[in-house]
Amino acid sequence: MTSFHPDKVTAERLTGNKASTGPQGPPRDDGTLLEDPSVRSPLVLNNRSLHDVTEIVCGYAENPPGKWWLPLFMFTATVAGIGTLMILYLLITGVGVWGLNNQVGWAWDITNFVFWIGIGHAGTLISAILCLFKQKWRTAVNRSAEAMTIFAVICAGIFPGIHVGRVWFIWYVFPIPNSNAIWPNFRSPLLWDVFAVSTYATVSLLFWFMGMIPDFATLRDRADKRLRAGSGLSKLSVQCPITGIKFFSLPFSADGVRALVYGFLALGWRGSSRHWHRYEAAYLILAGVATPLVLSVHSIVSFDFATSVIPGWHTTIFPPYFVAGAIFGGFAMVLFLLIPAREIFPNFKDILTLRHLENMAKIILVTGMMVGFAYAMEFFIAWYGGNKFEVEVFINRATGPYWWAYWTMIFCNVVTPQVFWKRSMRTSPLAIWTVALFVTVGMWFERFVIIVSSLHRAFLPGEWHMFFPTAVDILTFVGSCGIFLTLFLLFLRFLPIFPLAEIKAVMPQGDPHGHSDDHDQSDKNNAEGGH
Amino acid sequence: MSQIGAESYEQIMAGVAADPRMDRDNVSAPAGAAASLSRLLLGAGAAGLAITLVGGFVLGAQHALASYVVAVGAVLAASLGALCMLMIFHLVNAGWVATTRRQFENLASLAPVALLLMLPALLIDLVVTKGALWEWMNPEAAANDFLIGQKAAYLNPVRLLVFFVLYFALWGGVSHRLRALSVEQDRTGDRFLTMKARFMSAWALPLTALTVAFAGFDYFMSIQPHFFSTMWGVYIFAGGVCAAVAIVILTFCFLQFVGRMQGLVTPEHYHDLGKLLFAFCCFWAYIGFSQYFLIWYANIPEETFWMLERTTGAWRGTAIFLAVGHFGIPFFFLMPRTVKRRPLFIGIGAAWVLFMHVIDYVWIVRPVLHHGGHAPTPASWWLDIAAIVGVFGIFFGLYVIRLGSVSLTPMRDPKLPEALKHKNYV
Repeated sequence: MTSFHPDKVTAERLTGNKASTGPQGPPRDDGTLLEDPSVRSPLVLNNRSLHDVTEIVCGYAENPPGKWWLPLFMFTATVAGIGTLMILYLLITGVGVWGLNNQVGWAWDITNFVFWIGIGHAGTLISAILCLFKQKWRTAVNRSAEAMTIFAVICAGIFPGIHVGRVWFIWYVFPIPNSNAIWPNFRSPLLWDVFAVSTYATVSLLFWFMGMIPDFATLRDRADKRLRAGSGLSKLSVQCPITGIKFFSLPFSADGVRALVYGFLALGWRGSSRHWHRYEAAYLILAGVATPLVLSVHSIVSFDFATSVIPGWHTTIFPPYFVAGAIFGGFAMVLFLLIPAREIFPNFKDILTLRHLENMAKIILVTGMMVGFAYAMEFFIAWYGGNKFEVEVFINRATGPYWWAYWTMIFCNVVTPQVFWKRSMRTSPLAIWTVALFVTVGMWFERFVIIVSSLHRAFLPGEWHMFFPTAVDILTFVGSCGIFLTLFLLFLRFLPIFPLAEIKAVMPQGDPHGHSDDHDQSDKNNAEGGH
Repeated sequence: MSQIGAESYEQIMAGVAADPRMDRDNVSAPAGAAASLSRLLLGAGAAGLAITLVGGFVLGAQHALASYVVAVGAVLAASLGALCMLMIFHLVNAGWVATTRRQFENLASLAPVALLLMLPALLIDLVVTKGALWEWMNPEAAANDFLIGQKAAYLNPVRLLVFFVLYFALWGGVSHRLRALSVEQDRTGDRFLTMKARFMSAWALPLTALTVAFAGFDYFMSIQPHFFSTMWGVYIFAGGVCAAVAIVILTFCFLQFVGRMQGLVTPEHYHDLGKLLFAFCCFWAYIGFSQYFLIWYANIPEETFWMLERTTGAWRGTAIFLAVGHFGIPFFFLMPRTVKRRPLFIGIGAAWVLFMHVIDYVWIVRPVLHHGGHAPTPASWWLDIAAIVGVFGIFFGLYVIRLGSVSLTPMRDPKLPEALKHKNYV
């Protein structure tokens, strides 16, 4: 706080009268970091009309991306391809190509599975729980976070599938009647995982897709309008990405493809009030259904470990601890990808403001502390419980051969988010991005520490083995990152990356009470607005 | 949108002050009635405690202490739940809650009182009865019991009392300060006091989370010193928030019944409070089930003994009742929108959840009496009821005094305009 009255600072800055002077120096924010508790920060900046929002968001899907997109896409697709080759190699050769041994039967495979499943949780939290809590700021990130959920579940689903050794028997995980009358063990949490993850994938996909239907219809109608006006008829052509030399023309135009594909995806949406009414009702129901899923999926993943009697795995706090960790890691991934997107795409900052980033940084801080709380409880109870094997496992984690993994985890997950106590840190995109990177690394190490450090020393010293990853281990994980990023790049290129209708509903023009408060801007916008 | 300067804020708040709903009569407890109600409650409480003391001589110190700790545990958890919710409201910049927040402040400010109520039980068991309830308080326990000996660095009287003082300082300081800031805002109208409250909540919430967990270990988990569960603190927190929201809902039902808070707590507010109650009943069930399930599934005798005592034999019925009553019934009862929006229905739901919260503590604490073949007969329940009446009488007597001492809603909170027109649009 300055000695200057904060009201005056805020008011003058917001009206633009005070651009670069005053005791605070030049404003380093975009006007959304309000200190005034009586004012809600604007969620869309630069006095955008409803039509502007449509133009901005549809523009991302309709216009050619910048020159960065294709090289990046080719790179990530190559990485994804390498990962796929590694999986093929594994299938041909067997799980011996990984560094697993008699003692450490789960290592990078299940670490990656839990890591990717966790990444998805931010999307479900934002789209379901924050929806029920009426957190309007979620509209800026929910679509892309939901997309990440889907892509992360795809990556996660790979690993349990390929880690079983005889992959052609993987269908046994599903309770399918067969002539041998062999059924999965319904009392095993590993089977519940199958149900939990497949339910999660289904509901998340429905949620994501249903939210996009009105936006698909907008994209369809825009393409259709251009076709009718005769402006979208030029045929697509295939050309060299580097030299720009045209190879040959295709028999259809871009807008023709758009009208067809987006039209197919829009499921006949006409924007009638009946459609909207049902859409809203379905959205709320899906939010209600998805909310327990946020908790249940990672709780059941945690049961994979906690129902056992392995010291370091069996502890009662695992379910909420895993859920908090999943949200922590998921938000880190959302920030890790959206902060660069915010810099690259034009006008992105109008919709994803510093306030949004600050809010997400706060969620990183709070979930990071929840995870830290769980680490502390585990350590304390390991001692308090009086079981010497439990104590040994925890001492071994911190001081044994995997000490570096343990302290990497502590540093990344507990220490680095603490910088967000300082406001300048949680409002600096670069600082947030850096912390998000650390957290992503830290959350991978958390799962590695839980899995490998508990397994590598069994009750008898004769059973002690170290785990060393092979190149196949490493490249399979890197490949899954490639798959994730490739899918995300495709999403950024072709789909509506912001929910148009939801953003418009949180703009001042969408407020049914708008006229009672902020007369000037609302009226102005209403006059201009409309779509 | 963003053209808000000091002047227009003053105008908005002047509008709020002129609102007939903010009339002094509507926002203050009926003075005489509050005083006589608090006298009645305190009187009943004193009588209940006296009977509990007598019961200690009739039925044994262990029984009296257990009954007393059940009651204190219930109110302590409720006030800590209110403290946590209050801080969360500040941290998430909640708008709708402005007209209801004062009751969370009142309830939270009784956390140190509830903690002080725990002190006599601790001191009696340390000095007089020597481990009648908390086995480890017996000076010889550490020598006779290997595990208690192992834990002596934590389970010892000095550490217990030092932590007691820390809890008292933290909860007392924070809850007092948060309430004082809000009351000061009533007087001065300085909206930046809200920022101070938020700043304080930010650093105090993690500390409160830790202290709630350790207080849970100290006073409830260590009653059976062999038992341990990393989930314990979360379980105490989840139950406490259920009770806190239930008490706040009941407070408003009662205040509106006597003609106060008209138009300030609307069906929209009941609806949202009801959603919180519903959500935390589910959360409590999630935490309670996870804790039970993981112990049951892993089946390690070090842990299962605690659950076995509470889910088989005499306590099996209570365990089932708890699962059905604290989760099943509220889940279905609170699900419909109409129930959450009507003071009568949501009041019934809240009263039920509060009742089940007490049963939760009965289930946690009371089975310890069944150790060593000593099983109190059902006829001895009068002692438990006396202790609950005693502690609840004192606690709610003080709550009513708190309630009457300040206005029933924040008067000049910057979020009031939002809360006054709060709607639950989809």
